Amino acid sequence: MVIKMNKNNNIKIKSVNKVTPGKILVYIILSALVLVYILPLLWMISVSLKTNKEIFQSPFAMPEVVQLGNYIFAWTNGKLGTATLNSVIVCAVALIMSMLIGAMAAFAIGRMKFRFSGAVMGFFMIGMMVPVHCVLIPLFVRFSKLHLTNSLVGLMIPYITFSLPMTIFLLVGFFKSMPKEMFEAACIDGCSIYKCFTLIGLPLVKTGMFVAGLMTFVANWNELLLAMVFISEPTKKTLPVTLTYFVGPYATNYVQMFAAIIIAIAPTVVVYCMFSNQIVEGLTVGAVKG
Amino acid sequence: MERILRDKKAIVIFLAPAFIIFTLILVVPIIQVIYYSLCDYNALTPPKFVGLSNYVSLFTADDTMRIALKNSIFFMLFSAISQQIFGLVLAVLLTNIKKGRNFFKNIYYLPCVLSSAALGLLWAFMFNPKMGLNQILAVFGIKGPLWLMESSGFIPLPMWVIAFVALWQYLGQTMMLYMAQITGISTELYEASYIDGASRAKTFRYITLPLIKPMFVTTLSLNCIGSLKFFDLVYNMTQGGPNNRTHVLATHLYEQGFKYFKYGYASAISIVLLVMCLIVTLIINKSVKIEDYEM
Repeated sequence: MVIKMNKNNNIKIKSVNKVTPGKILVYIILSALVLVYILPLLWMISVSLKTNKEIFQSPFAMPEVVQLGNYIFAWTNGKLGTATLNSVIVCAVALIMSMLIGAMAAFAIGRMKFRFSGAVMGFFMIGMMVPVHCVLIPLFVRFSKLHLTNSLVGLMIPYITFSLPMTIFLLVGFFKSMPKEMFEAACIDGCSIYKCFTLIGLPLVKTGMFVAGLMTFVANWNELLLAMVFISEPTKKTLPVTLTYFVGPYATNYVQMFAAIIIAIAPTVVVYCMFSNQIVEGLTVGAVKG
Repeated sequence: MERILRDKKAIVIFLAPAFIIFTLILVVPIIQVIYYSLCDYNALTPPKFVGLSNYVSLFTADDTMRIALKNSIFFMLFSAISQQIFGLVLAVLLTNIKKGRNFFKNIYYLPCVLSSAALGLLWAFMFNPKMGLNQILAVFGIKGPLWLMESSGFIPLPMWVIAFVALWQYLGQTMMLYMAQITGISTELYEASYIDGASRAKTFRYITLPLIKPMFVTTLSLNCIGSLKFFDLVYNMTQGGPNNRTHVLATHLYEQGFKYFKYGYASAISIVLLVMCLIVTLIINKSVKIEDYEM
């Protein structure tokens, strides 16, 4: 409802839900934009179910015969099976570790009292500004000496590190906003600080961890540069790297490429559809406070 | 209570894992990369200190670097301007409607969470000379350009294409952040302004715009830094080609470092990248003054 007062001082109540030409125009613009976003994705699905010949002859038609074989080919010949497994392992471990390490650090910064808490926070926030490209070469050199390249562990460690700033940042906010009476009561009852963390802090910060976790997962799942540099062995490659097989001027096997792309983005689409509100919320919470 | 929260040992234990991994994986490598950038260093020989010669050849003898620098700056300016304008417009449109707001929001945000490696391949197909968009144009009897293969012009056509794809992919993020800020503005302010007889345009100018200034700083920094370190889309759409005309700093760094194994040289590129990120952040934070309002 919008209350408007005209010249004769009569208050006029205007209902916002009224259909006006302006509003229709807004909806037309927004819907047109939806097409811009959805059509390429739909076209991709349709191409992935065609044969290579069909995309030249009838690019816009529905596939004549649904070629599920493309997916099978992409899955087996493109080694997408192992790649998916690798991605899942790396992302899961990085997720769990960064949540745990991040929550511990955030608890110390946000809840406990020491003189340098601001400085420590600032130290971790460096990570938000430094692009991963800058540490690529020293890390690669060191990791190849330690035989950590071509291993999933070598990929997890930087992923954990680069997930930490965001995680700590979000969780510190959550810890700070918790009522301190809860911790006081626990302490009076003889709870140690470690028990305060595991029995009170962690359960209460679950929402924050969920949000931070989703963002960490999405970022690591899509990460390309580190994975491309660190992993050269085909059996250790993650999904985004595997897709680069299809890059280049001579890659003409479009239908299988599209099947591979769809397999690669399907998990994120599913996660997004399930948790879109939380992802959006996490993004905004993270940025608004910063 | 106080004593427990000031327990030094516990603080150290809680902070130690994060601190150690952060120092080893982020802080030490940054110092190393500064040193490497001053060395003649490749995969086979150990680093040898040569002073600033990497930087000298970077800025005087490397044509690709000049292209990469130009493209990266173009890319940054393009995405900063386009994202700010379209993101803000979309956010204002969406906050003004009630029905379907979540639907539109979620659709526009979707590409942000998808892998840009995968989307890069999709768009490389769309802008293939024989397929995708050109097939659509052919229906209307128009012969489309070569899109990603075109190499003429100060900013070659492929860079524009990639810039638009990046806009398509990341517009949702800017829009979403602005939406969060706009919905946070108290409705009483708007009601008061309407009672005072302000028009919609005026409320936007004098209420919405000043109050979303903090978000302007955040989104602009995100846009600029994000586009400076851009890699995935460029690599998967053109790989720097044709004729090295579409290299950006990140792809140039990748090629020098991991195709030609010139570690010292690539380190110098990453320092340039880092310095650019820092300067841009500094400029944005210094030049935009944020006044505090009671919201």
